[in-house]
Amino acid sequence: MAGGRFSLDLARPSRQHWLGYILLAPAVLLIAAIIIYPLFVSVDLSFQNVGIARLDQPRRPFTTANYERLFTSPDFWNACWVTLKLIVIVTSACCLLGLGTALLVNNRFKGRSLARLFVAMPWAVPEVIAVVIFAWIFDSSFGLMNWIFLSLGFIDKTINWFSDPTAAFAVVATTMVWKGYPFVSIMCLAGLQSIPDDYYAAARVDGANAWQRLIHITRPNLRPVLGVTTILVMLWIFRDFSIIYVLTGGGPLKATQTLSIMTYEQAFGFFRMGYASAIGVVTLIICVIAAKLMMSRAPENL
Amino acid sequence: MAEIVIDRVRKSYGPLTVLKDFSLEVADGEFVVLVGPSGCGKSTMLKILAGLEEATSGTIRIGSREVTDLAPGDRDIAMVFQNYALYPHLTVAANMGFGLKMRGTPAETIAKRVQEAARILDVEHLLERRPRQLSGGQRQRVALGRAIVREPQAFLMDEPLSNLDAKLRVHMRAEIGALHQRLGVTTIYVTHDQIEAMTMANRIVIMRDGEIQQIADPETMFERPANLFVAGFIGSPGMNLLTAEARGGHAQLFGSAVPVPVGADGPVTIGLRPEHIAAGPGAMSFEARPVLVESLGSEKYVYFEAPEANRPPRTIARSDEDRRGERLIARLMNAGPVTVGQPVTLSFDPAKLHVFDPATGAAIR
Amino acid sequence: MRQSPLARLFIYASVILTCAVLLFPIYWLVVTALSQPDQLRQLPPKFWPDEPRWSVFGKILEERPILLWLGNSALAALGAVTISMVVSVLAGYSLSRFRVRGGQSLGLFILTAKMLPATLLVIPLFGIFRMTGLIGSLWSIILAHATLIIPFTTWMLKGYFDTIPRELEQAAMVDGCSPWGALVRVILPVSAPGLAATALYGFVLSWSDYAYARTFLTNAQGNWTANLGITTMKGEYISNWADISAAAILVALPILAIYLFLERYLVGGLTAGSEK
Repeated sequence: MAGGRFSLDLARPSRQHWLGYILLAPAVLLIAAIIIYPLFVSVDLSFQNVGIARLDQPRRPFTTANYERLFTSPDFWNACWVTLKLIVIVTSACCLLGLGTALLVNNRFKGRSLARLFVAMPWAVPEVIAVVIFAWIFDSSFGLMNWIFLSLGFIDKTINWFSDPTAAFAVVATTMVWKGYPFVSIMCLAGLQSIPDDYYAAARVDGANAWQRLIHITRPNLRPVLGVTTILVMLWIFRDFSIIYVLTGGGPLKATQTLSIMTYEQAFGFFRMGYASAIGVVTLIICVIAAKLMMSRAPENL
Repeated sequence: MAEIVIDRVRKSYGPLTVLKDFSLEVADGEFVVLVGPSGCGKSTMLKILAGLEEATSGTIRIGSREVTDLAPGDRDIAMVFQNYALYPHLTVAANMGFGLKMRGTPAETIAKRVQEAARILDVEHLLERRPRQLSGGQRQRVALGRAIVREPQAFLMDEPLSNLDAKLRVHMRAEIGALHQRLGVTTIYVTHDQIEAMTMANRIVIMRDGEIQQIADPETMFERPANLFVAGFIGSPGMNLLTAEARGGHAQLFGSAVPVPVGADGPVTIGLRPEHIAAGPGAMSFEARPVLVESLGSEKYVYFEAPEANRPPRTIARSDEDRRGERLIARLMNAGPVTVGQPVTLSFDPAKLHVFDPATGAAIR
Repeated sequence: MRQSPLARLFIYASVILTCAVLLFPIYWLVVTALSQPDQLRQLPPKFWPDEPRWSVFGKILEERPILLWLGNSALAALGAVTISMVVSVLAGYSLSRFRVRGGQSLGLFILTAKMLPATLLVIPLFGIFRMTGLIGSLWSIILAHATLIIPFTTWMLKGYFDTIPRELEQAAMVDGCSPWGALVRVILPVSAPGLAATALYGFVLSWSDYAYARTFLTNAQGNWTANLGITTMKGEYISNWADISAAAILVALPILAIYLFLERYLVGGLTAGSEK
């Protein structure tokens, strides 16, 4: 009869749903092995006084010292603060720039698809390459930025972008905005294009001008897309490692050390993996809260 | 022999029961239509018949075999879907031959049967095309072709005409009817359109909220509806319903006394089809003042108010297309001019009245 | 929509200006790569080098194993995407079609997994790979990249499968397929474009990793991925920006090429689930 059946007839109505479980099995097993198990290991490590994780050796005694140290450490709170600052600044800039470019490219003109392609191109540039670009532009001796600022009279002597905490933060923020806005642009463009033309036609008939159409039609219809996108951008900034680590390493003086960077530093710079895992666990809790929030607001995003 | 026996099939999702004790015996070659509003359980029953859903309890027999827990592919049935479900990546010929191919039928047999089915359905010139290149009507014919190629014991059709425009629907109705005449295969057909049910069925099963309301051939269902729901559902426009008080074998309707069955006593709901109201004086006459007249040439739909004493019951559920509200409709054939506001004399035959119990909805005979 | 000529001019001007400003960094990278190294140590900077040094690409390919790096990135991506796609196609299909107990929790978990920083998992994975001797092997990053890719591809594929009507499998089953047969013979061929787009996105995700590569492969120069190779160049070459820019262009080329030619598919995959 039906070719290629195995003896277990899954086509029977009473057994059709078995396939659902069978299909999930590989994913569940793999995820359990490479994500869930490591997460447990991470939590486990955070309660031990561990330098380098040696999983084949007997566990160290349970201790909450890592967490105590964590919450009393000024570095930790600094990292939280830096992360927050970065998230707020970069997200706002990305959203403004992304929405602006989307609105611009949404108009009808010849070469529009080409413009769309170009405007979002930074998305396709690998993060470390973006770092190379901006590290050179912000080079203190011969970089473009200093030359432009000097020529325009903004400053009278060169800024050492990577030795000055505020300046370094600005460089990191700029690089992240450049890498981050295309995503917002792409999502907003898709959202804009899904707004039916009829809405605008009706508004025109009612006498609305361009600004009014933007406020009363575009904005409400775009709000869900923008909301989801904003959260995704924030999460990307939260967990980013490549850009900050390669650009400034978290310095100078921890001015650009986010939680992500700090976790890595403690683990592979100072080889305090127990302590680093504790920071990681705090990060994990923040992620879970964010996920639950997102699920309640936009359940169709799985 | 391809008769189908459905015995007390029930389907529940936890505490929610969507199909309640469905029992039906279909004779070999019969064309049975399951009809009812959305959510009545007809599609669920069809899917259970097909083996695409599991019945919570009950049994199903097709031919001489019990198929209750048999795979859809083992039941020797073919199905036609509302949105055709043609395989987009295959040609029309491959679509039609797919079922036979799955069963290991030799290629020449497949080609022969596909050719024959394509000829019957007039899609021979489309065999090498892909579904996306076809119109809606063509796709539906290919879907039918896919079904008949299998030469199954029964056809199951799930609202196959709902996605077609009105004109095409009328045409395809006739085609499916002709196909059934020609092939004589037992068919279970699901629709929400009572016109399809009335024109195509040997017998109709009308359903509501998971329960069978009545099983009858179209004429019986029209003449003797079992309850208020069936009375209102079948017929277009649906039956007029009025309230009255039955006492001693009579009730007051339009100001005159009409005979009612012996079992009726107290408040009753009386039904009178628009088709059974005539222009001019007759067995029982009354005056009506039209509030709306829709003229289709020789046919006129006249809307008028019911007398105060007979106001239609408020709780009757009508379909969305029924705009009459609390008014009554008369369908007059070859009547003279009828104008809004001008009283006309209408009449009806009291034998054509239907009497229902307002509490249970059941017909009183 | 009729536009006044003034409006059109304004739009064209804005678009050109915006693109120029936003893409300037990429342009600057090219300029830097083609400049003579000593030219870069002078101000004012030139906006196009006097004698563009096209030979820099040949030079850097000889000096640095860039092709090896690219090859490693590709190999790792291939491995990671293959594993991830197999697993996600099955899981995505299951989540789309079946009501599985715990499916909701799995969904929540996948959503959380999408947000996890690499720096969180890198520590325990380091411990695990150390114990199993995978440090320095490409397998370490193949598995690590899978942790990045699977949450995304599962979600994308579920969304994609949701757009395919269930009647298609039902028709296949009535035609004699088992549910598995329906998936393999009907749904997968029909989903080919969606599968390709998802795989492509997974490829880009794998390619863009740096954290795992740095942690697991630093001491295995033969297995360096492109991102890792470039950053070591930056570490060393504090002065020779021309060379490193040229190397950067070569490393960026594959993904940029994928983007330019296949943008429609990539973007389609990104936005499919989110627009309503």
